[in-house]
Amino acid sequence: MTSALLETSKLGKFFGRFAANEDIDFSVAPGELRAVIGPNGAGKTTFFNMLSGTTDATRGSIVFKGADITRVSGTQRVHLGIAKAFQTANLYPEQTVLQNCRLAALAHEQGTFALEVVRRSRRLLVIDEIAERAIEQLDLGNVADVRSGDLAHGDKKRLDIAIALATQPEILLLDEPVAGMSRDDARKTGALVRKLADTITVLIIEHDMDMIMGISDSITVLESGRVLATGTPAEIRANQQVQNAYLGGHSEAELEA
Amino acid sequence: MTRARGDGGVRFAILSAAGIVLFPFLFHAINGYAGLATQILMVSIASIGFNLLLGYTGLLSYGHAMFYGGGGYVAALLLIHFMPDHPNLWLAVFGGTLAATALALVVGALAVRLYGIYFALLTLAFAQMIFFVVEQAEGITGGDDGIQSFPNALLPIGPYNIDLGTALPAFDLGPFGNLSDIKLWYVLTAVILYVVLIGMRALTRSQFGEVLTAIRENEERSSLIGFNASAYRLAAFAISGALTGLSGALRALYDGTISVESVGIDRSGSFVIYTIIGGVQTLLGPIAGTGIIMYLESVLSAHLGYWRLIEGLIFVAVIVFLPNGIVGTIRRNYLARVAKERAPSSRALLAESLRARPGGPTQSAGGAEAGPERLKND
Repeated sequence: MTSALLETSKLGKFFGRFAANEDIDFSVAPGELRAVIGPNGAGKTTFFNMLSGTTDATRGSIVFKGADITRVSGTQRVHLGIAKAFQTANLYPEQTVLQNCRLAALAHEQGTFALEVVRRSRRLLVIDEIAERAIEQLDLGNVADVRSGDLAHGDKKRLDIAIALATQPEILLLDEPVAGMSRDDARKTGALVRKLADTITVLIIEHDMDMIMGISDSITVLESGRVLATGTPAEIRANQQVQNAYLGGHSEAELEA
Repeated sequence: MTRARGDGGVRFAILSAAGIVLFPFLFHAINGYAGLATQILMVSIASIGFNLLLGYTGLLSYGHAMFYGGGGYVAALLLIHFMPDHPNLWLAVFGGTLAATALALVVGALAVRLYGIYFALLTLAFAQMIFFVVEQAEGITGGDDGIQSFPNALLPIGPYNIDLGTALPAFDLGPFGNLSDIKLWYVLTAVILYVVLIGMRALTRSQFGEVLTAIRENEERSSLIGFNASAYRLAAFAISGALTGLSGALRALYDGTISVESVGIDRSGSFVIYTIIGGVQTLLGPIAGTGIIMYLESVLSAHLGYWRLIEGLIFVAVIVFLPNGIVGTIRRNYLARVAKERAPSSRALLAESLRARPGGPTQSAGGAEAGPERLKND
């Protein structure tokens, strides 16, 4: 694990005395699909927010590709290669699916700020290429020209991932990508995410155990803001500590159900 | 993507040029005098700048008078103190605009971190501070009296120094007045407004405008795809301040006097009123709103003591009944009509879907209504 893509050490987030995250030593290798699981309130989303830069870490450090990014803004981190899809789809509801992705691609192409007050983005063909590829990867081709506010729930969630993907990240953070989806829709999305992980690194928070066990290379379990265990799906499934804490001592058979 | 390459840019350029050229003559037919036409065009430049902020950036400034009056005072003071013998209009206007831009960058650096009511209050607070300074610094600004006279600035073009008070040659136009009603001031202002208008059209369609719209619609998402939202808002604020300063500088030089009201709260409020009545997020709305209110004010305030009450009623009526403003409502209706003509009627769609899928008749209901939205977003 010396060649980690993203690494945290002693990472902590305190709200007053309350520790939402504490002493998190975490490391993910390039190309890995890592799930972060844990009971409600375990600090998963806080952890992701610190990685994406929407929340400042109170303690510890975050290292991405060998550089300390603990104090780098979320906007800058996107340009370094860290993108996040939101727990609740966070879109431009008045704009089409394609335009949603074009904006992310535009940000990637022109940087955090450009006083480009005359020329139009449509001259940048690469933007359309990136956007269309992202749409294809999330299987949204048939709704590319639909106003994103009019999409069905599942498509909104997939579009959120497509937007993150259009920023051309090296690591993608997905916060509950299949929450609220039907079984079939969740399965389809899980398969798409698995495919994404063939080319980039993916971190995923999810409560859908079926999906997590099926697609993850490895799993980190958080409990009360701390890392409880990290291992392969099989190891995590067999871990008595995890079963006690996270599943309230339910058996493996129940976990599979 | 279904649209052809052009987007009506040439048509817009020609029609708006024709409108600006014909305006003072048509205006004459409804008893508007040429001097007021000139002032309307000047103030419209500020309203266009204000709309960049309110309409396209989503920030309501309640302190734009600091840029308007600031630009005016700086232009006047430059003439008085630095070029009493060779009053150069370019330099005075440029100086006033530059000062307003610098002020906008300073105020904006603090204000663009805030939203909604807090942004409005901070801009108001800054404008009130500027008002206080202008009012108190009697030795420089004349205090409550303002500056009553300063050198008549000339416009140097090549070897000539042009006096903008010069009238065009006499030519009777019947109900539309006489060509000699028009002074060169109108010509200069028309050219500047035209450049600003065409420039604003380009800006709102540019990458910059696209990002500005995205940030207005969803700032959190915009920040997390990699746009520096504060930097974009600051740039919009600075451009808005610059245009407002340009407007104020021209107006001061045209009027030949400047008063403390030009940095006052009523002036700040006037840009809000003009822009909302005309229509935010439209290119022509700020001009229309400025023209209508300034015209009514000039016609009515001469006869009626309660013009302010009428202005307030118009403002309320527009907000309640025409929330898109006058131009915004016209555009909306026009787009809806175009979409209706292009799209098959909902009845035809309904029939078609019934034919295609017996038992599924609700499919097409949104067809006709979805049209205008789609056009608008294109």
